[in-house]
Amino acid sequence: MNRILAIARKEFIHIRRDPRLLGMILLMPIFQLFLYSYALSFDIKHLPTAVMDFDHTTMSRQYVNALEQSNYFTVNKSLTTYSEVDKTFESNSDRVVVVIAAGFGDELSAGRQGNVQVLVDGSDANSAALGQAYAGALSRIFGSKVAIAQLQAKGFNTSGAAGLSSNTRTWYNPEGRSASYFVPGLIVVLVTMVTVMQTSITLVREKETGTYEQLVVSPMRRIELMVGKIAPWSLIGAAQIVLISVIGIVAFGIPFRGSPMLLALASLLYVICTLGLGLIVSAVSETIDTATQFAALISFLPTFMLSGYIFPISSMPWLLQAISYLYPARYFIDITRMIFLKGSGFDVMWPDMVALGAFAVIIVSLAASLYRERA
Amino acid sequence: MTDTSSNAELAIDARELRKEFRSVVAVNDVSLQIAKGEVFGLVGPDGAGKSTLIRMLATTLAPTSGDAYVFGKSVISDPHDVKPRIGYMSQQFSLYGDLTVAENLRFFAELRGVPRAEMAQRSARLLEFAGLTEFSKRQAQYLSGGMKQKLALAATLISEPDLLFLDEPTTGVDPVSRREFWRIISDLHRQGITVFVATPYMDEADRCNEIAFMTQGQIILRDTPTGMKRRVPGRIIEIAIPDYRAAMPVVRSLPFVKSVEVSGEMLRVLVTSDTECEDAEKCLADELVKAGFTVDHMRLAPTDLEMAFATLIPDADELLKRDEDAVAVAE
Repeated sequence: MNRILAIARKEFIHIRRDPRLLGMILLMPIFQLFLYSYALSFDIKHLPTAVMDFDHTTMSRQYVNALEQSNYFTVNKSLTTYSEVDKTFESNSDRVVVVIAAGFGDELSAGRQGNVQVLVDGSDANSAALGQAYAGALSRIFGSKVAIAQLQAKGFNTSGAAGLSSNTRTWYNPEGRSASYFVPGLIVVLVTMVTVMQTSITLVREKETGTYEQLVVSPMRRIELMVGKIAPWSLIGAAQIVLISVIGIVAFGIPFRGSPMLLALASLLYVICTLGLGLIVSAVSETIDTATQFAALISFLPTFMLSGYIFPISSMPWLLQAISYLYPARYFIDITRMIFLKGSGFDVMWPDMVALGAFAVIIVSLAASLYRERA
Repeated sequence: MTDTSSNAELAIDARELRKEFRSVVAVNDVSLQIAKGEVFGLVGPDGAGKSTLIRMLATTLAPTSGDAYVFGKSVISDPHDVKPRIGYMSQQFSLYGDLTVAENLRFFAELRGVPRAEMAQRSARLLEFAGLTEFSKRQAQYLSGGMKQKLALAATLISEPDLLFLDEPTTGVDPVSRREFWRIISDLHRQGITVFVATPYMDEADRCNEIAFMTQGQIILRDTPTGMKRRVPGRIIEIAIPDYRAAMPVVRSLPFVKSVEVSGEMLRVLVTSDTECEDAEKCLADELVKAGFTVDHMRLAPTDLEMAFATLIPDADELLKRDEDAVAVAE
């Protein structure tokens, strides 16, 4: 126990004496939080839009009006020919072009379907998808309003009419704000980066400077070395989780609906996983360079790409979906989102928790056996 | 049944210790017994396998085959009984540069389980001993080379080991610090600590009780410093001669001269006790005058280790070759 404390204290001295490292640990979370929440906003509002109206009727003007008032589109200009569409997209001035076919007003007045074509610039996939969805929804709403107006004009009493209306509401994140979606995930990404990276480096650095031999020649068990090395980083990891959560809640108004205890438990399990991964990297690498690259390969990339942090897992090809199950970040991101946004309890999250726990056991035993072998 | 018991009076008892790195044999079946309380010096060229041998004895490197007993405990099967009794100072500075002198000492004391009550007293004494008291708050990376080595030694000594492994402890250290360093080692020796030191310096080897010469993974000579010197066949004569460069080939061609080397402005000549020439000193002077050189002054010099190895190692090389031949014949 004394030896564990001795190593942990030494690690804290290293951290304290390394201003760059300290800055990275404290400032990087805050920096990334702002970056993801503002600069990389995935909220689409005021999409620059052009309109090509071949109809020129009251009805078509009402439709364009509805587009503008929705807040999702900003109509910048009117086009008259298709050749202008290319130019518009190429110059990046507009992302969406709404084409209203000739006869739109007549068709609607006659009670038939009016045609609206939505052209989106696919080079920005995100805006494209949202633009399409918004315009589609708007057209349906507009269409049903027209239909009701017509029925009423024809003397029908619509109040008693049974009709189907699809009414979509986004729960848990009603405004569709990306901050609410990203902050819980960001916790996972940052904690992974710091813990895997630092534990990977910490032992390899001792190998490079030769101090590792002094550790080996001392009457110390491997487990004491492992625990002493990872204890400071688990504390730092925990501090980061608290820091990001508090900033997210206070500065970005992220809801926190679940139980802090459950978050703490899940964080503990996850941090054990990442620290174990770091130790594995440390055990198999001989230089800091290899360790850094290896750590990046097994921590950054999967956490960014395969955990559902940015790209929804459900829309990945099956192979990547299968691989994502092999990485603990996936479960922890699930858990953080459920706790922050849904307030789910253990009854719902237990499969994720069990998966994290299983990973923790597997990774730590692997790390421990590697240490027995290699050092 | 192999004999696994070991004489408890021995500090080190290595038996056919061998280490291979891929196809290179770094240490080739070395057997070595060192009694308690000795200062044992291991000399040899770079790449001879000295560090590898030390690291195996200090339990930081697993042997390919063979075993070694340190105070009767195997470095392979009972390393945890060996570690508490030894201290190891590697060739490379192996302390934490960003920790202060005092923090380094404290860390190694805690790591090696020094009782808390004794810690303060011991580190104060060691700092005093190493002349580092006034630098105790300085980060180790800002110490001079000599101070770093003394700190490393202090950190190794904080657990009061019975056996100390030092791998080229004074490489890159100024002469004054080297002397101080050896003064510390002499003190330790008087306290009864066994010291195993690898060194490239002959003056350091001269301070040991016993020396072993290692080359190509094998120990080929082992003796006391005096014994080593006594093995030199002949005497050493130093000749002060103004035109020493021109005189060198002349001296070398003489039948009773075994070797010549330049030392400062003088020639150091190893002469054998040749039958034709009773007084080598006189013969040498006669020959030089005959060749037209003016000899300023000439004297009989004590043999030093450097000369000893320079003359003994070619023989030793042959010895080694004969061994290989013997193995080839045996096969």
